[in-house]
Amino acid sequence: MKKAFAVTLGILTAIGGFVDIGDLVANALVGARFGMSLAWVVVVGVVGICLFAEMSGRIAAVSGRPVFDLVRERLGPRAGVVNLGASFFVSLLTLAAEIGGASLALELATGVNYLLWVPGVAFVAWLVMWRVKFENMERVFGLLGLVLVVFAVALWALGPDWGELAGQLTSPPQAEGAPTYWYYAVALLGAAMTPYEVFFFSSGGVEEKWTREDLSVARANVFVGFPLGGLLSLAIAACAATVFLPVQAEVETLGQMMLPVGLGLGKIGLALVILGVFAATFGATLETALSCGYSISQYFGWQWGKLVRPVEAARFHTVLLVTVVLAAALILTTVDPIMVTEYSLVFSAAALPLTYLPVLMIANDPDYMGDHVNGRFTNALGTFYMVLLSVVAVAAIPLMLATKAGQ
Amino acid sequence: MRVLLAAVALVVTLGGCVSPAWDDHDYELKAQETTKTAHSLVEMARLAVQHSDDLHKPYLKTVLTDAAVDLGNVAQQFGGVQPPSDASDQVRDRTLEKVQQAEDELDSLLIQIRRGGIEQPRQAAARLEKLAGELQ
Amino acid sequence: MRAREIHAGLHLLDRQVVRASSGRLVCKVDDLELTGDPPYVTAILAGPLALGPRIGGVPGRLMVAAAELLSPQERPEPWRIPMHLLTELGSAVEVGGDPEEPALETWTRQNIIARIPGSGTEEASREQPARHERSPAARLGAYLDKPVLDEDGTLVGNVADVRLRQDGPLLMEVQQAFTVAELIVVPHWHSRLFGYERGPGGRAPKLVSALIRGRFAAARLVAWDQVETSGPDGFRLNVPASRLAPLTDLYEPDPRRR
Repeated sequence: MKKAFAVTLGILTAIGGFVDIGDLVANALVGARFGMSLAWVVVVGVVGICLFAEMSGRIAAVSGRPVFDLVRERLGPRAGVVNLGASFFVSLLTLAAEIGGASLALELATGVNYLLWVPGVAFVAWLVMWRVKFENMERVFGLLGLVLVVFAVALWALGPDWGELAGQLTSPPQAEGAPTYWYYAVALLGAAMTPYEVFFFSSGGVEEKWTREDLSVARANVFVGFPLGGLLSLAIAACAATVFLPVQAEVETLGQMMLPVGLGLGKIGLALVILGVFAATFGATLETALSCGYSISQYFGWQWGKLVRPVEAARFHTVLLVTVVLAAALILTTVDPIMVTEYSLVFSAAALPLTYLPVLMIANDPDYMGDHVNGRFTNALGTFYMVLLSVVAVAAIPLMLATKAGQ
Repeated sequence: MRVLLAAVALVVTLGGCVSPAWDDHDYELKAQETTKTAHSLVEMARLAVQHSDDLHKPYLKTVLTDAAVDLGNVAQQFGGVQPPSDASDQVRDRTLEKVQQAEDELDSLLIQIRRGGIEQPRQAAARLEKLAGELQ
Repeated sequence: MRAREIHAGLHLLDRQVVRASSGRLVCKVDDLELTGDPPYVTAILAGPLALGPRIGGVPGRLMVAAAELLSPQERPEPWRIPMHLLTELGSAVEVGGDPEEPALETWTRQNIIARIPGSGTEEASREQPARHERSPAARLGAYLDKPVLDEDGTLVGNVADVRLRQDGPLLMEVQQAFTVAELIVVPHWHSRLFGYERGPGGRAPKLVSALIRGRFAAARLVAWDQVETSGPDGFRLNVPASRLAPLTDLYEPDPRRR
């Protein structure tokens, strides 16, 4: 009974934790412009994140080593430091976007300008990381993020033409050019497979001291939670496709992406969706900030984690403090948080192979994994994704320049 | 890493400035782009105003303020481009006038919201719909 | 019984060092200190002064320069853990004893973290033991990527990894030292083998394996007694390239089928 409870809780947390500012923005934006014609990318992204999250969780459980530890161990100090720089930059950009997203949600709830909320959000986020236990932190915000299910309810209440939505799956709108279509495909993939998710997931596994016995629970969380999170993403896209696509309105702010819920469910729905967006972005603020700390500490071999008191992981906590301050400062320059999100997605996509190649190699190394090395099917799929991610990484930045970031 | 940084710098700089219009055709394209963005913003405002009874005041205020500010930015950006010929002057006036009308409408709605609420949401939505239609 | 053989780059360098008693993380194996001829490993080196030279280039030099500037010592040396403290080599390197705390940790704790309420009570800071001056020792990291020339002076390739054999002198009468036994030489500059040199069995996925293996088809093993001279410019051998053993000699059977 207790185990069933743990599994359910884990799954619910994974659903809420899957959706962050990147998924919210990318899916609403794509739904409004391309209908459901990019839904297949969400599916590809969810399968990919399941695949690599499972591998990194298995590595963490069997060998007790988190992902960035292995990135350096396998790629060496030189390629490792390049990787660290890229991953840290992407995570910092994402962190800034998440802080901005949480502040925007507060603006929508109160009408007070989001810039005034930024210092408070950053401070509270830091306080939570300083004081709150890892497990509680993950659960509270994961479960609150689950409120975003209102998007699915709103979609049903809006009563879309389901045949029309299904038809969009295979036919992109004629008005958009091919480069823009592919640019947003890359951004959506970046949203579903953001590297910080595996840093966080595997470090969390090490922190919670997973053993081989916990593998089934971890797998259930990944294989059920992430796909359900993906469905939530699709519901967001479908809402935007139903309301905005027919009138050719493009989503450019966080407020606009919530509008379909207000139209479908009224004030209660709107209040819930604002709460859900806040919980999802605030939870992701914690995850990305911790990922920044994890990646640097694990590269240099410093003591990290929330299990020990801050005085015993002083360098790790200093990194957390500095990154949160840097990210908040970036948002306070009044740069548009939604634009920061879009850039962070494309740079994530460009950095994906750097993170996932070492994971794939270690998951095949019997020195670490013993009997738990990858099976044939996982390897075939993993190889396919490595090829795919390499292509995406090469194409991401040229596509961004060619389409002027999707304009 | 250095490449990444350079790319960011490049994109941010490119995004921040408006390229000049080379000829009438190019100017026409820029006008169309402006109209399209304005249309999208007006439609968005129209949806919100039409259902303003279902939305919280702070939310409505934020969404409409964002739309008004964005309209202003769009108009300012397009207004900053030098029209290459007399023929383009007409395009310029027509486009800016329509965008200006939309901006005025949103500003007056915002004033109503700050006073208590939109007085006649249905009529306001109808006006916005007409404006959006003209911005096609 | 055959002495234990490990690959320095694959099994030791860049692994996490963990304190055996408490499971606390200590540092990474940033480099290894070597003494004697044939050289054997006397200590694990860590910290920016050990890592910087291995990263190389401008970032590496900056890292060393910054560490030297901030160090209170006259001639700063990397932080070292004597090899006899090593208790286990697994997915992490476990060490016994009570290694002193790195300076950066002490500094950030005293100046930033301990001043914030709720950081936990601070333990009395351990006195830093006075360090005795030691002559700069050779480092294993300096071997990697170095060119290898054969008897006639033709280039065989660059060092990709170093094989160590645990048959050296006794360290503090606890355990035998790891001696440099063989060099793995690959005909490319800056090559890593990512562990795929260990044999055809169980090294999946196939595509990655094939890509990496393609790069070391011509790789060779150089026994330490085939090395005539070694220096900062690389290694000179006393045999022609044709006498070197191919890398396939290293293939291990698939551990799952053993």
